[in-house]
Amino acid sequence: MMKRRSLFAGAALLAGLGMSLAQAAPSVGQPAPGFTLTDTAGKSVQLADFRGRHVVLEWVNPGCPYVRKHYNSANMQGTQQEVTTQGVVWLAINSTETASADYLPPAELARWMQDQKAAATHTLMDVDGRVGKAYGARTTPHMYIVDPKGTLVYAGGIDSIPSSRADDIKKAVNYVKQGVRQSLAGQPISDATTRPYGCSIKYKS
Amino acid sequence: MHFLARFTRVLAVLSLLAAGLLPLAATAQFSNAAGAVVTTEQVRAELMAHAPDGAGPGQTVWVGLQIRHKPEWHTYWKNSGNSGLPTQLQWTLPAGVSAGEIQWPLPQKIRIGSLANYGYEGTVLLPVPLTIGPDFKPGLLSDTLEVKLAASWLVCKTECIPEDGQFALRIPVKSSTAGQGAQFDAAWRAAPVALALSDGSSVKIDGSALAVSVRGLPAAWQGRQLAFFPESPEVIETAAEWQQAWDGAAWTARIPLSAQRSNSPTVMPVVLALDGQGQRIELPVNGSWPQAAGSAQASTALQAALAAGPRTGLASAAPAASIGFWAALLGALIGGLILNLMPCVLPVLAIKVLGFARHADDRRAHRINGIAYTAGVLLSFMALGLLMLSLRSAGESLGWGFQLQNPAVVAALALLFTLIGLNLAGVFQFRQVVPSSLASFQPRHPVVDAFFTGVLAVAIASPCTAPFMGASLGLAVALPPVQAMAVFAMLGVGLALPYLAASFIPAVARALPRPGAWMDTLKTFMAFPMFATVAWLVWVLGQQSGINGAGALLALLVAVAFVAWALAQNGRARWVTGTVSLALLLMLGWNLGPTVTRQAPLAQQAVDGRWQAWAPGKVEQIVAGGQAVFVDFTAAWCVTCQYNKQTTLSDPELMADLAARKVALLRADWTRRDPAITAALQQLGRNGVPVYVLYQGGRAPQVMSEILSVKDVRTALAQL
Repeated sequence: MMKRRSLFAGAALLAGLGMSLAQAAPSVGQPAPGFTLTDTAGKSVQLADFRGRHVVLEWVNPGCPYVRKHYNSANMQGTQQEVTTQGVVWLAINSTETASADYLPPAELARWMQDQKAAATHTLMDVDGRVGKAYGARTTPHMYIVDPKGTLVYAGGIDSIPSSRADDIKKAVNYVKQGVRQSLAGQPISDATTRPYGCSIKYKS
Repeated sequence: MHFLARFTRVLAVLSLLAAGLLPLAATAQFSNAAGAVVTTEQVRAELMAHAPDGAGPGQTVWVGLQIRHKPEWHTYWKNSGNSGLPTQLQWTLPAGVSAGEIQWPLPQKIRIGSLANYGYEGTVLLPVPLTIGPDFKPGLLSDTLEVKLAASWLVCKTECIPEDGQFALRIPVKSSTAGQGAQFDAAWRAAPVALALSDGSSVKIDGSALAVSVRGLPAAWQGRQLAFFPESPEVIETAAEWQQAWDGAAWTARIPLSAQRSNSPTVMPVVLALDGQGQRIELPVNGSWPQAAGSAQASTALQAALAAGPRTGLASAAPAASIGFWAALLGALIGGLILNLMPCVLPVLAIKVLGFARHADDRRAHRINGIAYTAGVLLSFMALGLLMLSLRSAGESLGWGFQLQNPAVVAALALLFTLIGLNLAGVFQFRQVVPSSLASFQPRHPVVDAFFTGVLAVAIASPCTAPFMGASLGLAVALPPVQAMAVFAMLGVGLALPYLAASFIPAVARALPRPGAWMDTLKTFMAFPMFATVAWLVWVLGQQSGINGAGALLALLVAVAFVAWALAQNGRARWVTGTVSLALLLMLGWNLGPTVTRQAPLAQQAVDGRWQAWAPGKVEQIVAGGQAVFVDFTAAWCVTCQYNKQTTLSDPELMADLAARKVALLRADWTRRDPAITAALQQLGRNGVPVYVLYQGGRAPQVMSEILSVKDVRTALAQL
């Protein structure tokens, strides 16, 4: 009786596993989807290039007020600076479709990032939205951390206060700084999935 | 000409008059309407009021923000879906006036490419009730209630613009304000109607989806396709395809969970809608939320509790920062060791150790016995662990001690302990009762005997959660199965270790006094802790099956004792009394068995002094009110819980301290199966009782030691 019950349980467990694999977006703890994208300088960049290092993914769109909240206040650049000086790779990804009013061609996006004194390792173009959709990215900004083994260890917001007010930044917990700090120290990340907030990503439909 | 001149003069006078009136008119408009409207490129927002009977004390006045969107623009519902943010209203009100929650009208699902949101297009009014208390005093000169509102909303088409506005409105206290009644009527009609929770309405976590079942919906809805809006954000995959069906009068749906879910509610309020009419129901969540795949990490609360350990003197098995798999193993080992001292385990071990005195010289036999006992303990712990993990993965919400939530198991343990007690007291010997072939089995195979003693030790240890075990077991259920089993095995190693060590160290056997009459006396004496355990189990069963169940169990215990005594008789007396007693036992078992195992209806939770019954969401509600909350997660079958309740939690000075600091006291009783409590324990990174937690606003919950001392609670209180 007991035995049959646990056999049944085992079958249910397997069915559950099969289902979560079928789902598009990865959960924290699963392998981060690999990708190859072109950066604003026309260079091809692969996620696999950075195996053995932590990688932060930032979904960006300069036309979004929430992105500007974190760039105009220098919060995003400060976060980029802090983590890249510790050997972490920072990939800013723009999944805005070319038909959107927010779309910036590579050269203009590169200039905007330069004007902002951004410290991203690469700024990548994802105009067909494939990579954004593979990660389940919904908003700008939407942040992810991939560990050196290629496992997704963080998915969510840049910080803990979903608002457009720059004043809230100093009161908020910066989840990316916290996640990178904990992951580099070999600790589990205390807030591994959080709520992303910002504008919807303008995906190609 | 003359006429024309006159006409011009009249016009001039009129325009002068008009010019003079204009500022007046403008002022009038300013005091009435300006301040109530904010217009942006995307919306026109207006603060509205509805007070048909004035705004004096005792009245409920309705205010609300009306947002008129330009075509294609929208703002958001309380759960905004994939992106967006709910509209926020912050009120500034005179003393004695308080604002309630927004009565959110029914939203619509708005798709943007591959994403989906819940929100409003066109015109929407977000109504809020104001309660006017007796303390409200209108100003001396103006007999009005002044309402100020700071609102912020995110308005989106495909692009998004965060906007905010300051609004002000004066509502006459003595006269009626009802000009906008039609708008409020429309908003109330658009608000969902509360639907009572009926049997069979629930949300079940089914793998990576939610299985929703709702009964009691309007009969006219049956067979129709409904819209589904969960109020809890960040749970479901808002944009995903989902299925719904009608099963007679029950509406069912299967809705995929978000792969990056960051919310694990214990109750999910949801709104179902058809043709602009909504029904709102608060559904309890059954089952446990899936853990992130392969991530061997403790929950935030657990880490916070462990990090807080050294600071507040909490039982912390691990270095503050990194409780990982190894720390869980260490915790399990220490926990297992302490289990040996628990009142239910000690008698069994004491008798076992006595065995050394009998064969003080046979060191080899001691070692073999020690190993057999260890094997028995290890295998039983792992079997119990495997059973719990399998049942959990099949969707049952269980935790450590789950077997004692079943009255049949409690009754079986009571029978077992009665038999052991009678045996110790000398009423019968096992070899008298069981057939001779089996009876010769025991002395001939001391190894088998030792093995089963190990099994017995685990069976009786399960109601006790020793310190260090809680955090380890809570972590274990979140680990991959192999590692989780390692934690269970380590518990077994801890429990078995003292006996194993004793069997390998000859000095222990030598230290025992020589065998003699004292051994029989001690053995008979040990019957009393066993009977005490039975008394406690009967009380536990009483909590589950009521007075009738407990009474039936007592009758069964008497019958079993009768059988044991009868089979210990000799010759004909044995046959006669044995037959009668067995018949009696079977008859009683047949008739009373169901009474024992039937769960009695839950009596109204007795209010025990300042303690209130825990309910999902209650802690959050009290904490939101600025009060701290102490929660006692307990169960009748948990010995450690009962001990703490009688000692620390009965300490008059401590209770007075708690009262002085206005700490609300909640008791979560896990005696019976309760998925909501299991889920709450899981949020704390725990999987069994007791758990003592202090919640306060803006801080991680503080989890205290399982063996609760007055000092622990004081230290935690000192930080309020």
